[in-house]
Amino acid sequence: MLRASPWFLLALIALALLPLLLPSYWLFLLTSMLISSMVTLSVGLVSGMAGMISLGQLSFAGVGGWMVAYFNANNLPIPFVLQVLIGALVAVPLGIVIGLPALRVRGMHLAVVTFGFAAVADLFFTILNFPGGVMGKPVLRPDFLSHDRSYYWFCLFLFALLVLGVNALYRSRLGSAWLAVKHSERAAAAMGLNVAATKLWAFAMSAFIAGLSGGLLAGQVGLLSATNFSPTASLILFASAIMVGARYPAGAVLAGMMAWLVPEVLGRLHLSQNLGNLIFALGTIAALKAGGGVFEVAARQKKPTATPLFSSPATLAPTTHTPTDRVVLEVQNLCVAYGQVQALNKVSFSLKEGQVLGLVGPNGAGKSSLVDALSGFTPYQGRVQLEGRSLEGLNAAQRARAGLRRSFQQDRTITELSVQAYLEFSAGRALPKEELAWALEFAGLTALGLGLHSLNMGTRRRLEVAGILLSRPKVVLLDEPAAGLSSEESLQLARQIASIPARYGCAVILIEHDMEVVRAACSEVVVLDFGSLIEAGPTTRVLSSPRVAAAYLGEEVLA
Amino acid sequence: MIQAAIAGLVSGGVYALLGVCVVLLYRMVGVLNLAQAAIGVFGMFVVLVCYENHWPLGLAVAIGLLTSAVLGGLLGGVMAHWFSEASLQVRSSVTIAFLISILTVGMWIFGSDPRPVPNLVGTGSLWVGGLVIPHLALVILGTALLLAGSISLLLQHTLLGVWLRALAERPTAAELLGVPAQALTVGVWAVAGAISCLAILLIAPSRSPEFPVLSLLVLPGMAAALLGLFKSFSLTILGGLGIGLIEGLASSLPAVAPYRQALWFLVMLAALLWIQRKEVWDAAR
Amino acid sequence: MRRIGLFGTFVLGIVVLGSALAQSPIKVGFIGGMSGGFIQPEPAKILKAYFDRLNAQGGIGGRKVEFYAEDDRTNPAAASQAARRLVDDIGVVALVGSASALECSVNAAYYAQKGVVSIQGTGVDPVCFNSPNISPVNTGPFTASTLMLQYAAVNLKKEKICAFFTQLPGLEPAYRQAVADFEQITGKKILIQDYSYKPGDDPTPLVLRARQAGCEATLFAGSDAFAITWMNAVKTQGLLKASQWLFLPSTYTEAFAKAMGSSANGVLVSSELEPYLGNNPILNDWRELSRQNNIPLTAFSLASYLAAQIFVDTVKTIRGEITRESVTAAFKSMRPYRTPLMGNAYTFGNAQAHRSNQSIKVLELRDGQYFLAYPGWIRLQAPQR
Repeated sequence: MLRASPWFLLALIALALLPLLLPSYWLFLLTSMLISSMVTLSVGLVSGMAGMISLGQLSFAGVGGWMVAYFNANNLPIPFVLQVLIGALVAVPLGIVIGLPALRVRGMHLAVVTFGFAAVADLFFTILNFPGGVMGKPVLRPDFLSHDRSYYWFCLFLFALLVLGVNALYRSRLGSAWLAVKHSERAAAAMGLNVAATKLWAFAMSAFIAGLSGGLLAGQVGLLSATNFSPTASLILFASAIMVGARYPAGAVLAGMMAWLVPEVLGRLHLSQNLGNLIFALGTIAALKAGGGVFEVAARQKKPTATPLFSSPATLAPTTHTPTDRVVLEVQNLCVAYGQVQALNKVSFSLKEGQVLGLVGPNGAGKSSLVDALSGFTPYQGRVQLEGRSLEGLNAAQRARAGLRRSFQQDRTITELSVQAYLEFSAGRALPKEELAWALEFAGLTALGLGLHSLNMGTRRRLEVAGILLSRPKVVLLDEPAAGLSSEESLQLARQIASIPARYGCAVILIEHDMEVVRAACSEVVVLDFGSLIEAGPTTRVLSSPRVAAAYLGEEVLA
Repeated sequence: MIQAAIAGLVSGGVYALLGVCVVLLYRMVGVLNLAQAAIGVFGMFVVLVCYENHWPLGLAVAIGLLTSAVLGGLLGGVMAHWFSEASLQVRSSVTIAFLISILTVGMWIFGSDPRPVPNLVGTGSLWVGGLVIPHLALVILGTALLLAGSISLLLQHTLLGVWLRALAERPTAAELLGVPAQALTVGVWAVAGAISCLAILLIAPSRSPEFPVLSLLVLPGMAAALLGLFKSFSLTILGGLGIGLIEGLASSLPAVAPYRQALWFLVMLAALLWIQRKEVWDAAR
Repeated sequence: MRRIGLFGTFVLGIVVLGSALAQSPIKVGFIGGMSGGFIQPEPAKILKAYFDRLNAQGGIGGRKVEFYAEDDRTNPAAASQAARRLVDDIGVVALVGSASALECSVNAAYYAQKGVVSIQGTGVDPVCFNSPNISPVNTGPFTASTLMLQYAAVNLKKEKICAFFTQLPGLEPAYRQAVADFEQITGKKILIQDYSYKPGDDPTPLVLRARQAGCEATLFAGSDAFAITWMNAVKTQGLLKASQWLFLPSTYTEAFAKAMGSSANGVLVSSELEPYLGNNPILNDWRELSRQNNIPLTAFSLASYLAAQIFVDTVKTIRGEITRESVTAAFKSMRPYRTPLMGNAYTFGNAQAHRSNQSIKVLELRDGQYFLAYPGWIRLQAPQR
């Protein structure tokens, strides 16, 4: 769905009319700004949205420009518009190749890799040369674009399309997926997301946008050289992207404007052009200090638009209400070892339909290892079956999609998303009003448009659970959902968890330290100690067992 | 062929020295400093200006080292003051801004005209079995080894070392125990600045003494640091020397010579992927 | 009273405007590196001084020359912005004396489109010598390479000749052409032509390669900074006498002489114009102008000075309005311009490419001073059949 805000339309009309009023020099500046904004947008996508630092974006632009120059120098009968498009498409596979290391290499290490890539690309551009650049044979635009004004309109048209497309992408599941991967790859995979594909998509798309800008640059200035796409320029581009918060198209536009207006102003004031780079550098430091660029800070301070929801919460039709004897999750002889340390030793238990099973044990007993193993984050030996289907060989995302969902001890919600976007992302589908209303009630909220960053911890945790339930899983693993909540909030959450099977028809494994919560929520518990299962059975009996008391001695006070 | 490899030792030694600085900052104060070489280059240009004005070489070098140390210390101060709570990624991004600033200010002050570069070691060389071994190569090797050795000794056997290790592993706890965290951060930055100035001074006569070119030597330095897993000083030095040797060898083969600067990238990429091959997930659990 | 004052101002305004219209200034532009990686402040200064002096002496036919200098920041984007600003926004009649590392390749197409000519002072990239609207005053690194190699073969009678070129964007094909020209002229084959030296490299392996191949004469094409590095490697390896080391005009600088001192005697460099450090009386005016305005002497400055001279002398021939069109027409139809500063006559004309300067002077470095190694100009010879 392409949705355009009135501001966007207004700005677009103003930009479209400007060339009728401005002399041709300003037309050149405007076109340059658009092209710079485009390449900044590509940084915003891969670094701002997906959180992968890329210091080689201009190299992708170079590839796009190189292709256009190549077609032109060899007089190939390809229309210019198509040349630009092909150039952008050729950058895509390269983007994916550069994205591959990003599957293992993160943060600043990735920055070094991409910067190294920029240096290598520079080397190749220098050795290969830009076709036509040596003979002085410029890229010729077709007649309908030959005038600077029509070329500006062409660039504006493409840029508007890009902004609309990027906006739609950001609102789509892929956009949420990029944000999810930026926050926590594990949490993203636990929502059933293919993390590798998500990352590669980001690189592919940003390479496409950058490649497009390179092709347009070739059309604008005619002759290119490797200096257009130097590593240092990529570095400054990245810094300016940080400064403005380039994942917002408006931020990208601001960066594009500054890239050309700052030198212009300095030139008119007869000041040294060196000041320009210093302004960018200091602005970047300020943005990093503030924890976000101009538009990111602005977005955080914006008042949320609270759209009230006129719909009564649905009582979500459960499939079954009461525990039956049908086993949904069967765990047999589960062993997990970290090197010499045996974290889990032949643990076996089963989870029945409609059951809330407590999993307790002192610190280091292996509870988290168990959750990690079941959800596919830790390799193990033994067997796990979900409704009779063996889960071995499935990775974390596949297990989540098969109906085994988990939550995390730490808050792993995606703070940039709104409540609705988060719920729909976690559920993996668009949600009808009734289900949204149910989730709001579950989390104790009233508005869907709120950003998650404005919610308190307890609400976020309940929202996380609600999102998981809306995906209609078969089994839910809740890893200390009450951590960090007040005792009152904890008990409320416990009652909600207890009602999950009845209201939602899925079985729950609850890992919890707080025995009050366990008593309130679970009918049965299993107890782990030193990686082995030491007790299992009805909650009250097991919790009063001497072995369990011994295991907890000095650890927890049994209430 | 062997002669070319020996020529690569000089570069390799300097990559190693820069790599040691990178590892030092990464381990001690948790930052991957892209501006590391640039800090050294700034000091080197101060040396060049002093030398041009006929100051004694020793004095000029002292002033240059001091300049780099002060510059490093200043940046470390900015880091300690404003970004002590920030993540590695944010802090390292700050160094990108540092790099841009130093490049700009450096070009502004010193211009692009070449200045005579003093040879600290002289252009003499040893003749061993028909091979020319420049004194420079020996000095750089010696400096690198000495440096790695003394840093290791310092970390293992002195109170300062204990403090530094505490700061590196548990910054908050260390601060609570009375370790002067800010001062130490600034100190580490300053020391690394001075070392990189020395490294740049040693390599400058054999490279074109241009500000941006020398500043990008941080990249092979980082490749060396990666080979040392960002942890081991001795592995870093070996890694740096290895990259230098490969570069030297490659330059004697006309077929690959034009692409030899891409080599360290491949070395780095391979090393990184190997080290991180099991890191399927990011750090956020 | 006030009313009268206002009226007076109005009248005065009309008068000033009228006289301004009658002799509106001739605007000329200049693009050069003033920040970034290639910084040459002298050309802009000497041009300003030249035009100031001209204006003080009455300008061109009573019209003053207004001089606009723009910084290319050694950055293609900035260079194109600079050209648009000068041509579109300010409306210069021509570009005079530009000295930029990359400006031609960025702006050549634009100048052709706008019908504006550039009397380039120092052109570096190949497009400077390959465009209908740019004609540089200098020889350029490519023709200079051919000439230096020819000097080694013909004048020095060397057989094994090698050449090492700096790898910079867009230069390699032009250097290859320069070597091919040399081979055609002299009928000799070059022993090594190498393009692998990148700024920032250690040149030692290449120096070793030259020794191993037994090069009797070795040309190194690169800036003076690279040349200093090159000679440092030569000295470290003890190879100063192993080959005749040759360098391009870009190495003919005081910095190179100072860095070498007396440790590189016998090295040959070249000059595209009359050697600017020499004492030929034809340099007197330029030197005097530089001295009066405290401008350091550089080869770039001399080239820009010469470009200004050529511009003014050519524009003075225009009968009628001095506009961009008439200036362009004057240059497109100009007769060869002879000056003792240059080995050939400067031409513009209607050709698709211009390289009128095809000569150098060769100098020898001795104890930090340059001396003419050959008294006259070295000019391109006709190809051997």
